[in-house]
Amino acid sequence: MIWALKRVGISLVLVWIVATIVFLAIHLVPGDPAELLLSQGGVAADPGAVAELRGQLGLDRPILVQYGQSMAGLLRGDLGRSMQDDSPVADAITRRLPRTLELIGAGAILALLVGMPAGTLAAIRRGGVFDRTASWLAALALAVPVFVTGTLLVLVFAQSLRWVAAGGYVALAEDPARHLSLLAMPSLTIGLGLAAVVFRMARAAVLDVAGRDYVRTARAKGLRPRHILTRHVVRNALMPVVTVVALHLGSLLGGTVLVEYVFNWPGLSGLLVDAVSARDYPSVVGIILVISVLFVGLNLLVDLLYGVLDPRVRHG
Amino acid sequence: MRLSRRAFLASTAAAATLGSGLSRQARAARSPDTLVFGLSSYPPNLQPWSNAGAAAGTVKMLIFRGLTSYDPDGTLIGELAESWERDGETAWVFHLRQAVFQNGAPVTAEDVKWTIEQVSAATSTAYLRAEFQGVERVETPDPRTVRIVTKQPFVTLPVLLANYNMPIIARGSTDNGGTPVGAGPFVLKAQERGASLDLVAFDKFYKPGLPKLKSLKMVAYSDENARVAALQAGDVDLIEYVPWQSMAAIEADPKLRLETTEGPFMDLVFNGKSGPFVDARVRSAVAFAIKREEIVKAAFFGRGKPLQSLPFPEASPYFDAGRSTYWTYDPDRARALLKDAGKPEGFSCTLLSTAQYGMHKDTAVVVQQNLADIGIQVQLSLPDWPTRVSLGNRGQYEFAVIGNAGDSNDPDGLSAYIDGELPPSYSRSFGLAVPRLHELLAQGRAEFDQAKRQAIYAEVEKTTQEHAPFVGLAWRSQGYAMARNLQGFHNLPGALTFYSGLTLEQATFA
Repeated sequence: MIWALKRVGISLVLVWIVATIVFLAIHLVPGDPAELLLSQGGVAADPGAVAELRGQLGLDRPILVQYGQSMAGLLRGDLGRSMQDDSPVADAITRRLPRTLELIGAGAILALLVGMPAGTLAAIRRGGVFDRTASWLAALALAVPVFVTGTLLVLVFAQSLRWVAAGGYVALAEDPARHLSLLAMPSLTIGLGLAAVVFRMARAAVLDVAGRDYVRTARAKGLRPRHILTRHVVRNALMPVVTVVALHLGSLLGGTVLVEYVFNWPGLSGLLVDAVSARDYPSVVGIILVISVLFVGLNLLVDLLYGVLDPRVRHG
Repeated sequence: MRLSRRAFLASTAAAATLGSGLSRQARAARSPDTLVFGLSSYPPNLQPWSNAGAAAGTVKMLIFRGLTSYDPDGTLIGELAESWERDGETAWVFHLRQAVFQNGAPVTAEDVKWTIEQVSAATSTAYLRAEFQGVERVETPDPRTVRIVTKQPFVTLPVLLANYNMPIIARGSTDNGGTPVGAGPFVLKAQERGASLDLVAFDKFYKPGLPKLKSLKMVAYSDENARVAALQAGDVDLIEYVPWQSMAAIEADPKLRLETTEGPFMDLVFNGKSGPFVDARVRSAVAFAIKREEIVKAAFFGRGKPLQSLPFPEASPYFDAGRSTYWTYDPDRARALLKDAGKPEGFSCTLLSTAQYGMHKDTAVVVQQNLADIGIQVQLSLPDWPTRVSLGNRGQYEFAVIGNAGDSNDPDGLSAYIDGELPPSYSRSFGLAVPRLHELLAQGRAEFDQAKRQAIYAEVEKTTQEHAPFVGLAWRSQGYAMARNLQGFHNLPGALTFYSGLTLEQATFA
């Protein structure tokens, strides 16, 4: 119990450190939100107007006071209001986060559906045509940046064949079929890269497990090959694959920005980039904080699960 | 131990077919009464009197309207004002038409008075706050007549009242953080920050039969390639800020139409407080050393033309063909000017631009190459746009590339770019005041006689050429692309291109 509380405590401190670093970093970067807001049309605003807006946004207060107010708000669960349109930051995050999670989730499912069987097959037929072809394709998928993959998909399926829309978003409840069709290309773009990772991990893991003593024993017992594969090999090979996928999913939380841009998918990453461009301090701090909490939470969960599964971790 | 290759391939193909099947539904027909507009960015806000950029301006023109506006040819016309006239040297009288705000209240002289008072208030953050300090008082002799008394003759007042950052708002609607109520042709129904806005036709818009569309969906596409792809795929019907590299492909597409105008431009600004560009001869040397055709090719794919003087469009009565080619490429003259300035061997300096926008970066690269030919070794500084703005406003640079567009086709719109006596701005030279220029611009603003105005702005042009506080580089083509069957929408000429949203009230599908 003490061990678990210690882990939770460390996670909270980690989140506070992240919030502080982000707050200081965004304030230290050149660019003034008031100046930017009033200079959008290509001509700098009247200095009096900029000073007035700075006052309205609270930017004329000492940075420590601003920091204190920001942290106090976070402790109350208040992420503040956007400097761009005065709307609550939490509302925008609540709306955008599920979309990014959906994109990542769909990409992960695609990656597992393709990568796991392909990796298994490649391991079983090690050195064969399929193994060599699939390994080459996986290397290619890993090497090609997502914005190239995404742009190619748009070019072929949206602009040339006109099978799908080039991008955009429609809520699932509004039009389920269109929602899924709009989800297809961005999730495929994410899924292809991830599938290559899964393929490599699965291939390596299957090769490793297939050489273990208990597999040889199972074979010696005369079990059917399919039975050995599904019950003994793949099941045990899944563990490292799932661990790697989970780690990748965490990093994708803030890393889908290029995919969101190419497909105009209004997710959390795009919101973060827009907020940074506008030097919208509360939005930047709020979004990164939420991503950090999710990331730290995910790690905490894994830590706690390790503890449950392996007593050596608890007492170590 | 065999896992069938056929089974694996079959399952993968099934997944792909499922995706394809779903995707065919993506082209579901939209209502012919709805237009989807691909904006270049999501409006940071829709505050009526703040300048939140061109995309915000387009949306604001749909929700709000001013006293005056422009027709598709760019002619100044009455909007909420039916007519207007001068009343002596220092007053303008506007006669309002029968119109109602989107809350059903009539548009009255009191609303106009209240609007001008809000814009010019001491605590205002309005874009035109400084300009409206020139208003002495606003009189309302009757509910449909407004008399605006100015401190000095104010020639450009009707033009300023057409600015999309100067709409008339229902009196008191913004009090206590309320939503501003306008009298535009569309009502904002819903919006999602960063993504899209939904507008529906205002059924009591004062122009009979308008707007022709029932609804508009404005979707933000920050990535220019995504914006073009959306148009080509039929996801949107109209896009703004067509990237120059895509214009040829759009022109070649039989389903699409491109409308361009040359209004916005690129120029160089200088630090007049410190560094090598304090000397006008050095600035002039730079002006004569640049091959502007290369900028047009490199940054705008040939979609533009050299700007060798002040940006007066050819159709403008202030345009003079002789003066317009003053800064022709003349490296010998540039070297001679450097010699006169005591820098015969050239010097090293830093050029501020931004890597965030290709046209700024590419322009800077060409300038860097051209100046190396006369011995000026240029190092590029390419921060992100917010940093670029901040450095420019604080004068933390030696010289810089900037892209601009006038607020109107009136030459007074150039004051913002050449009058160094105005407060510091990233869009004009820093600390580089030319008193004669300031004087001439003030005269132009107060002169009603067209012939005399032309003479004043001819002098403005010559003075700018002599002192080079502004060095023109290139006109750039500004385009809107649309489905061929979209009618009624037009790209307004010259600097008014960003007012094209006014014509959306006429837009309809054939």
